[in-house]
This record gives sequence, C-alpha cells and structure tokens, in this order.
Amino acid sequence: MEGLLEHPGYDGEKLRRVSEQLPCREVQAGMLLSLMGEPQQYCYPSLFIYGHRASGKSHVVNVLMKELELPHVTVSCVECVSSALLFEQVLLSFFGCDAASLLPRSPSLSDFVRIYKQRTSEFPSKQTRYIVMEQAELLRDASVNLLPALLRLQELDNVSVILLSEIVWDKFRPNTGCFEPLLLHFPDYSKAELLQILSAGRNPSYSAEFYSSYINILLGVFYTVCRDLRELQHLAALNFSKFCEPVAEGKETETHKLWKNIEPHLKKAMQTVYLREVSRSELSSGFALHVLPYYSKFLLIAAYLASYNPARTDKRFFVKHHGKIKKTNFLKKNEKTSNHLLGPKPFPLDRLLAIFYSVVDSRVAPTASIFSQISSLVTLQLLTLVSHDDQLDSPKYKCAVSLDFISAISRTVNFDIVKYLYDFL
Amino acid sequence: RHRHATPSIPNRAQPARRPGNILEEARARLHVSAVPESLPCREQEFQDIYSFVESKVLDGTGGCMYVSGVPGTGKTATVQEVMRCLQHAAEQDEIPPFVFIQINGMKMTDPHQAYAQILQKLTGQKATADHAAALLEKRFSNPAPRKETTVLLVDELDLLWTRKQNVMYNLFDWPTRRHARLVVLAIANTMDLPERILINRVASRLGLTRMSFQPYSFKQLQQIVTSRLNKLKAFEDDALQLVSRKVAALSGDARRCLDICRRATEICERSAAGLVGMSHVMQALDEMFSSPYVAAIRSASTQEQLFLRAVIAEFRRLGLEEATFQQVLVQHQALCRVEGLQPVGVSEGLAVCRRLGACRLLLLEPSRLGVLQRLWLNVSQDDVLFALKAD
Repeated sequence: MEGLLEHPGYDGEKLRRVSEQLPCREVQAGMLLSLMGEPQQYCYPSLFIYGHRASGKSHVVNVLMKELELPHVTVSCVECVSSALLFEQVLLSFFGCDAASLLPRSPSLSDFVRIYKQRTSEFPSKQTRYIVMEQAELLRDASVNLLPALLRLQELDNVSVILLSEIVWDKFRPNTGCFEPLLLHFPDYSKAELLQILSAGRNPSYSAEFYSSYINILLGVFYTVCRDLRELQHLAALNFSKFCEPVAEGKETETHKLWKNIEPHLKKAMQTVYLREVSRSELSSGFALHVLPYYSKFLLIAAYLASYNPARTDKRFFVKHHGKIKKTNFLKKNEKTSNHLLGPKPFPLDRLLAIFYSVVDSRVAPTASIFSQISSLVTLQLLTLVSHDDQLDSPKYKCAVSLDFISAISRTVNFDIVKYLYDFL
Repeated sequence: RHRHATPSIPNRAQPARRPGNILEEARARLHVSAVPESLPCREQEFQDIYSFVESKVLDGTGGCMYVSGVPGTGKTATVQEVMRCLQHAAEQDEIPPFVFIQINGMKMTDPHQAYAQILQKLTGQKATADHAAALLEKRFSNPAPRKETTVLLVDELDLLWTRKQNVMYNLFDWPTRRHARLVVLAIANTMDLPERILINRVASRLGLTRMSFQPYSFKQLQQIVTSRLNKLKAFEDDALQLVSRKVAALSGDARRCLDICRRATEICERSAAGLVGMSHVMQALDEMFSSPYVAAIRSASTQEQLFLRAVIAEFRRLGLEEATFQQVLVQHQALCRVEGLQPVGVSEGLAVCRRLGACRLLLLEPSRLGVLQRLWLNVSQDDVLFALKAD
C-alpha cells in the first residue's frame, strides 16, 4: 500500500507520510501531484475539484499542502462575506502583515492585483503558490469578475488556484466566458473502502477483528441510506458502547449474539440519521400546545381550515342555515388529489376572520388583541404572510403547521377538526 | 504664484516621422483629427450660427440655440469654426470682445460637475459643484459694469440629464436673465430631444432656435474627401465615389468615410499598387461593414454548428423564439445521430452552449439554472442558415 505516491522533487519520507494519511485516495492524490509537478515548476493555472460531501476533497488537498510544506493559503468562501476578506487572507499568508495592510479600505480586484504584482516582483517565489478555495460555489455570488480573475491569476506569477465544490463546473460558467479550469472528480467511497477507513479509527482496547466486525454490521444497516463518511463515523462512535455491553458483562462473544443485541439500537438510530441529539429533543415541540392563548388556537384552526379547504365549500361547512346545496355540486368527483398533498393555499384576512367567528362558539369582538394575535402567529412562523409586507388592506396568509399539530391543538379546545376538512369527508 | 503644476505629457525622444510617400501623406490628411480650416458643404449652417452668435454679441443680449444631427455630420467642428472666426473678428475690433468656453457632457462623471467646470473656465477658480452653482448664479443675475458676453458651448447635452433636470434648467435659464449676457449653444444627436426628455419649463427656455444637421449626401462626402486630399493623387475617382455612395447609403457619417479611405490606403500599401483602386476600397468596405457573426459561425466547431442547427430546429418545432437547454439538447443528440457522430452528453452540451453564449451568438440565462436555462438567438435565423449552408 505504501510507497504508491512517487514524484521527483519531493522527499520520499514526506510522500510516505502523505499516503499514510490518505487511505483510498492514492489515485486522486497521485493525479494531483503529477499536475502540480515539482515545486518550482508551473502547475495548471486552476484546478476544479468536485465530488460529494465527505469524499475527501479538502482533506487530500490540505494533507498534500501541509506535509509537502508548499506555500499555500486555504480560504473558506463561507467566511469571505466580502472579497476584501479574501484578498486580505491571500496577501497575509503569502507576504505577511505589511502587504495586507497596504490594501485600501474597500479594496477592488485591481487593488489586489496591483499589490500582489508589486510583492511578487520584490519577493519572487521559488515554489508554486497555491490558493485553495473551499465551498467555491459561493464565488458565483461574489462580484462577476472575481471568479474569471482567479481562474487566470497565473498570468501574474507562479500561482495556482484550486477550487473545491460539491457542484459541477457546468453550473459555474459565467455568461461572458472564462478560462476553463482542469476538472478533477473525487468519486464516492465504495463499501469496501468505507469499511477500511472506518476500521482504522478503532479503540485500541479492542482487537481489530472485533471492531471491523462491528463496522461491518453498522454498514450493513446504514449503507443503503447514508454513504457520508462523517455521518457514519459519528454513528459508529455513538453506538459502539452499546455493541460492547455484552462483552463487558462477560457474556459470550459470538457474532450473531452480538448482532441480536445491537440490532434494535441500530434500527432506532436509523430514525435519527443526520439529526444530532440537540435537534432531536427540539423536534417534538409541544410548547405551542400549552403556551398559545385560547383565541390564538382558534385563529390557527381557522387558518388551517382556510388553507386546506376550497373557498366554495365554506358555505356548506360554516353557515348554519345554508339552504339546500346539491351534493353532486358540492363533491366534485374529478378532484382526485387531496388538498393535503398539494400543500396550503393562501387565503385573505377576511376569510380567516369569517371562519374564526363561525368556529368560535362565543361572541368575540374584533378587538386589537385579535389582530395582534394574528401577527404574533406570523412571528412564531405558525402562519406565513404571502402578500407583500406593506399591504395593510388585504394581506394574504398561509397556514404553516401540520395536520398532527392542528389536531392536537383542536383536541385541547374540544373542536373536531376532521369533521370540517373537505379532504376527509 | 503657481500653486499647481501645469499638466503636461512627456515629450517624444525623436520627432514624429514626416510622411514618406503619397499614400502616407494621404493617410495623414485623411485622419479624422486633422480638421481642415474651412469645412466644405456646411456653408449654410456656418452662416446661420455665425449670424446668430454675432447678433447676440453685438446687441449684448443672451440666447440659446439647439444644434442636432446624427454623429459625424460636422456639428462640433462647424460650431468651433464659427467661434474661431468670431474670435478673429473680435481681435480685429469688428465686434466687441467675448469669452468662449466649452464643456462636454461625456467628459463629466456627474452632471453637476458642469457648474464646477464652467466656473473654472470662466474665472480659474476651483469650487465644489454646489458652491460653483451659487457663484455662477450670482455672476449671471447681478449687473456688473463692463461685463463681456460669454458664449458657452455644451456638447453631448443629453448626458447632462438628471431626474430634476436642474442642471439643464439653470443652463437655459441664465441666458434669460437681464444682466447675464450669456449665449448657450447646445449640441446633441436627437432632433426631438427637448420634446422627448425635457420637462416643459426647460424646453420652453431652450426656445425654438433650432438647427439640424442633415447627414451628408454622397456628393458631399466625395467633396469632403477630395478637399482633404487637396489635389493629392492617391485615389482613383471611381474608388472615391464607391466609398461615398456606400457610406451615404448607410449613415452619411463623414468619420466613417474617412476611416474607410484610410483603411483602403493601408490595403493598397500592402499590395504595392501605386493608386488606391476599386479592389482595395471593396476590401476595406467588406472589413468595415460585414457582420462578424457570420464569420464566427463559419469558424465554429462542428458541435457548435450542430448546436445552432438544433436551436433553429427546436424553434421551428415550438413555433417560438425561445427554448430551454434540455429541449435543444434532445434535438442536438438527434442531429448527432443523423450525422453519424457520438451523441453529446449534458456536460459537453452545456459547454458548447456556454461557448456560443460567451461570443454572443446566443443569449443565455445564468448557468446555475442548469438544463432549465432558456436560450435565445442573438442573430437572425436567416444569418445562421446562410452561414451554415455556404460550405
């Protein structure tokens, strides 16, 4: 396995350490190395590395840069809310603080290029410099000429830009065209590779065989839903203590017994893939059930009815003596999809209030407190305002709660909501 | 006491070379910046502007004049020639002395800069735009003994447009003051500019003294070129006539005509012929007037040409002048199969499409929309078909 990475110009010992840290990425690392060439040679002007989440893009690049001690700067585009921060980071790590302090208050691209050029003529580099941009898809939202300029920064100096992204290059191209970078794809890890990488992170107090059998069981359960290395690592660490319990109690260590023991836990953990503990506790948020005032609950119920019932059925549901409405006219047989599949529909304020007065059994005066409760429901994100903010005369709302939630609410006020829903008639 | 150094440009190490042969001489004379002493074919306009300004200077009153005409019809050159003649007359004491200043809307970063520039040219004083406006207001509304008439030439008037039009309003309001003694000559391209973009109180102050410069006819263009050449035998008569007729048919722009003549002399020089003939002029006209789109389509790669064919096929199928990328891609893949080529993938197709978009043969939505981006042709379908069929 080791000694796979070979390239003239780099120390063999360093390369060995690199390949140790990059299991299952030898091909990609070797490709990168051959593109980078020897330290003083010119690399390709810009490389675009793409692949799914946790396919080792940043890891491979960072390990190569760090272990081979190449002059580089790693910039996360999430952090660079303005291009000024990007310029500052690049100058700071290549030339030190005095270069970065030369930048004016709100530097433009030409300021950066001017200072960079001036500095490189003072301190010519013996090695290729690398600018690594993580989450490069955010560069598209920066000013239009930033990405094209970065792609051809090599015209200034022996510098190379490496862009890392989860999005394909086809969605990056600016409208006016640009220098095309070299595309490099990092494929997903296969099951065998995942097994190899995860087994490497074992607890030293257990044998390698024992741990890899655990990983094998884990992958058998989770591989169909999740191939994200980071998530699998988290799950492996989370459930390992449960897996070890029978061993600690001194019970037999046969594999199928262990499997019997761990299976229910893993099945339960399946429900919470990608959800960390913190969010899990918040998910079952019953707070609104108890906290909401009485009329707010009815307002919410009215909003739910307005969102999921067609307006033409209001007369049938909410008017006491509605006369004779033909059943054939009321139930349209050609409506196949239920309103609950299509999602909530917007409704005007008048309709909400009309339904509200109909479902509330007592007489309610339309006081300011009723209207302020509507707007506080919007602030709580139980309702959403769909019309524009400044429309005072006819605002439109949508109800943003689920059926389970609204039936729980209506149970607390003794209201049978299912009787009033068109879909369940 | 000089507080500021006079701006200057560095001198040449060696003096500029004198024209060596007839063609070089002709090229120097035909240069657009070599404005002749007297402009041919603009005698009537010269006379009108001259008498307008002269009468105002003699009476000691103010007024406005609006000069319009398409580019390259000699508006600025004529007005400047008028002013040169008037200044000469003032030196001869035929008319009272006056001050002539000119500003250009294109040379300003902001319309309000006009105040600062006028003030600096009148008095040499530097001030902010607001302060300059106040100073000018004072200068033009208060009586002063022995005040000279000021002639102000405003070029590219349409660029002085602001939302409230206060710059234009002031420029045309000052001449109406009793003590201003200001003559404003405003130049712009469109004839109906006062009616189109000016609000009523500005348009009425601009007044009805208008003059429009008609585009040159082919005879006038021919006369301009011959007067420039001044009996220098560098062109065949037929060649000159061809240039003037072509330019007059398209725009009547004298600058265009001179440029084409200069290009023809260069072509002639390369082919080592003594006189600029028909063939050279034809070649120059071709270079200047032919559409670069057709050449771009002809030199495009096979896949790009196929993509353009697919775009047209899809437009015909839909009956619209707009399609999404995925619709065109289906056509493109079908065309590839017909041509016996390997059908393109989505990534290749997108690359082809973006390349055509980057050279503006296609108009595209942003690339982040992926296969759902809509595309339009930026050239007419006939041009594309003509370019693709020719080979």
